[in-house]
Amino acid sequence: MKYAQLCSIDVANFRSIRGHIHAPLDAKVVLVHGENGAGKTSLLSAIELALTGRVDALRRADPDYQLQLLHKRALSGYAEVSVSTEEGIERFRTELAEGKVSPGRVLDDEIAEFFGERAYLPQSLLGQLLQIYQDAGSDSASPLARFVSSLLGLDRLDALEAGLKPLADVRNVRKVIDGWSTVEIEKGRLEPLIKDQWDARKSLEHGVLAKRGELRVAIEALGIVPNPEIPEQVSILATDREEDDAALARLTDQLRVLASIRRDMADQSDSDASMVESELSDGAERSTAALRAWQESYGDRSSDLRARVETLIPHVAFSPDLNLFRAEALRLLAGELAQSADKASRGRVDARQLAEAQDQLVVANEQLMTIDRELSAIASNSGSLSAALAEISSFIIDDVCPVCDRNYAELDHGALSDHVHAKTRSLSSSADRLIALGRSRSDQQASIERLQQSIGGLASRQIDEESLAAIDRRTTEVVDVQRALDALGPALESGQRLIEADVAARQRLTKTQQSSGRRLAIRGNLNELANSISQILPGEGETIEAFADRIELALTKERDRLTVRIRNRAAALEAITAIRTAKSQMEQIDSVVSGYQAAWDRNEAALQRAQALRSDGLKIRDAVDAVRSSIIRREFNDRLNRLWRDLFVRLAPGEEFVPAFRIPEASTQRLQPKLYTPHRDLGDDVAGGTPGAMLSAGNLNTAALTLFIALHLSVPVQLPWLILDDPVQSMDDIHIAHFAALLRTLSKEHSRQVMIAVHDRQLFEYLRLELSPAFSDDSLITLELNRSSRRDSQCIATRHGFREETALRVA
Amino acid sequence: MNSPLVVAIGNRLRTAGYDDVATPFRVASVSFDFTKAMRGSEGRGLDLVIVVDTTTGSFGDTDSTQVRRRIEALSRALDVARSSLVLTVVLAGAALAGDIEALSETCRVLIVEPISVDLDGNPQDDKARRQLEDRIRLLLPLEIPPRDDGQGNEPTAIESLVAGVPDDVNKDFLKALMASSRLGDEAVTQELAAFIGSRLYVEGDE
Repeated sequence: MKYAQLCSIDVANFRSIRGHIHAPLDAKVVLVHGENGAGKTSLLSAIELALTGRVDALRRADPDYQLQLLHKRALSGYAEVSVSTEEGIERFRTELAEGKVSPGRVLDDEIAEFFGERAYLPQSLLGQLLQIYQDAGSDSASPLARFVSSLLGLDRLDALEAGLKPLADVRNVRKVIDGWSTVEIEKGRLEPLIKDQWDARKSLEHGVLAKRGELRVAIEALGIVPNPEIPEQVSILATDREEDDAALARLTDQLRVLASIRRDMADQSDSDASMVESELSDGAERSTAALRAWQESYGDRSSDLRARVETLIPHVAFSPDLNLFRAEALRLLAGELAQSADKASRGRVDARQLAEAQDQLVVANEQLMTIDRELSAIASNSGSLSAALAEISSFIIDDVCPVCDRNYAELDHGALSDHVHAKTRSLSSSADRLIALGRSRSDQQASIERLQQSIGGLASRQIDEESLAAIDRRTTEVVDVQRALDALGPALESGQRLIEADVAARQRLTKTQQSSGRRLAIRGNLNELANSISQILPGEGETIEAFADRIELALTKERDRLTVRIRNRAAALEAITAIRTAKSQMEQIDSVVSGYQAAWDRNEAALQRAQALRSDGLKIRDAVDAVRSSIIRREFNDRLNRLWRDLFVRLAPGEEFVPAFRIPEASTQRLQPKLYTPHRDLGDDVAGGTPGAMLSAGNLNTAALTLFIALHLSVPVQLPWLILDDPVQSMDDIHIAHFAALLRTLSKEHSRQVMIAVHDRQLFEYLRLELSPAFSDDSLITLELNRSSRRDSQCIATRHGFREETALRVA
Repeated sequence: MNSPLVVAIGNRLRTAGYDDVATPFRVASVSFDFTKAMRGSEGRGLDLVIVVDTTTGSFGDTDSTQVRRRIEALSRALDVARSSLVLTVVLAGAALAGDIEALSETCRVLIVEPISVDLDGNPQDDKARRQLEDRIRLLLPLEIPPRDDGQGNEPTAIESLVAGVPDDVNKDFLKALMASSRLGDEAVTQELAAFIGSRLYVEGDE
């Protein structure tokens, strides 16, 4: 359906409009005037409400805006707009009740969106536009981005994209979607449980295989052919086992008996002693008689001698063996004798030496006295005087003494020099003598001391005569005893021999008597044992050792056979039990696992369903990206920039820099528009920064307004309406004049129905003139809103028709 | 004989549907003579354009005071005649900012600084042509560049999205998400959480 023109509007009790007003709108230009608060914005919002059932600008500011729509003092209201279409007049109406909005017939979503985005510029959107230029940010959350997004219809795409974003990362999915984690955790919890169970089952299977191998070996050894697949299906009779156990116990007993028999046998030799027993008995009697004869002849002497020896050497315990006693006594007595002789002779030598030493000391003392006498005769200073005289002799020239100046010649004892020489010589030989005497004296002194020491030592060792006599007496006794021992030697030897022979004969006799009885008993035992064993025949003419060996071999062989058999049976039973246990455990595991698996499957299914939706969500998000970037490319091409430039240059011809979008080069994720200001004449070569930095406030407003119009024009027209709510608030006169011309261009050349609200009276008048109908079909309606607190809102509509212009005439 | 710049302006306006107004002309019995006067047609039928040659023009064009006085007189005459004509003065050549401002109080003023044109008034290159057009853009028709894809109804963003989503995507899910997108990204996230959450039930659980 093609919508041509807004025809009229009826509003009742909507926001600042109190009561009902009706306004015709069926003109190419509708100019609305009213003081602030008179209801201009309400009138324009009412159009939106009627057409779309909502007021986007209000909703953006307050999600609960619906509560604010009804006029404060009213209970109900409505907004109704009639629109001319190709098929006639269409009516759109939305009812208002307290806190409730009930849209009746409204525009299709798509058309409604066009209305909201491209046909109606509410003040809030323009305010947003102005904010855009003050905010330099260019990221996707900047006001510019938000504004352009909403104008391009990208805000819903952005909402989808941002809203679906958590799907990309499963961590966010878990966070956002209740139950996702729960299902995942449950699944994750089950997996190790299942795995553990499987592992346990697998090790049980291995165990069964191993046990089957063991079982096969064991039952083959028992002589049973095993089932190749399931060897545990075999019957092993318990009675067999009992028999084997009993047989083995019997064997063990028999072996124990044999062992004890063998212990008895160990002492025995196999000569038959009974024959020699009487012989031995005779021998023993003979030896006893011989011993007794010896004791009669030598017993007293022997014991007397032993007593003497023990008196001499009191502290030694002598052997009862006669030979040993004799040898020991002789050895000790010889030592005793040598010691006594030595002691006596040393005592005599010492006595003699003492006498000699005492004599020598007397002589030495006399010699010493002689030397001392000579020493005292010789002047002790003779050596020094002789040297002085020798010195002085060289001063003697004649007989005058150089010392006393007397003339020696007066004495007539020859020449003075001779006298002095003689004196010198005599003095010097006395000195030599003195040295020799000194040496002799010290020698003498030393020998006296040595003698005195030796006399002291000898005197202390001196043994008195009584002691010497005692030693001599003991020596004599020892010699006597020695002699007696020597004399008795052969008798003692033969006595000893007799004693030993007697003892040996008695021992042999006893032993023989014991052994012959035990061997008989042993053979009896062996025969008894052999009888109890079925295969063994009692041996004849066989030694008991060989017989015992034969029995033991048979018993051992049977025991080994039984032991192996029992072991195999036990192993087989053990393996069968183990296999059965393992199998029942495996069955348990299987049932547990199937429970877990079912739970896991259910969780997995739930997760799969959710995953499918997640991947759908991601596909939608991809589609959003693709659609958005295609829209961005489509809209931000040179067409939009060109239109914007054209419009901006119209309104601000004096501005050197014009605003423009830097067109995104790559397909962008999210719209990140950048505004810049190429030079009007030189283009990008002299481009400036953002509009906010380059343009005056008036030109910024112009830029915002022209952007909206450019966006309106850059798409195919779905609703040929431009509804502007007080867009010229900060424009100067020049801009207003240009803006009026632009509105005229849009209205007259591009057939847009222009509806504009202004609050400034002068501007209203000016626009009324500028927008006057220019041709016969052209039309203008002015609506003047006023309101007072006492009465309902009022709307005065005036229709201005075309009037032929006649003022200009050729002169 | 007009200056090349005035000729160029005249040529361009004529192409845009303006007609020369013979000078001198009379308004409310007052006679006015200008270097050049033009009037639009049809939708621009109320546009009266006066071109003033501030460099070489006659009729006192080079004297800003005189220019202003004459324009004010014309304006007043139009008022007196209760005319709906809208006056636009094009100053061809350099002009003082103060003079322009003073003149703006009376009428719409456009300034065309010297631009390279040949003697016949043809701009010397595209740049010069565009400079000329930019200065008088307001008087020229607004050209809306044709759409790349013909005149077919362009799909909205949401329609494009519906077309762009693969067929195998769950349609109910898509519908729910698109409905929530109107309320912002948090609503979308809530919707998707609720939708997916509702499919996360585990059979056999409560």
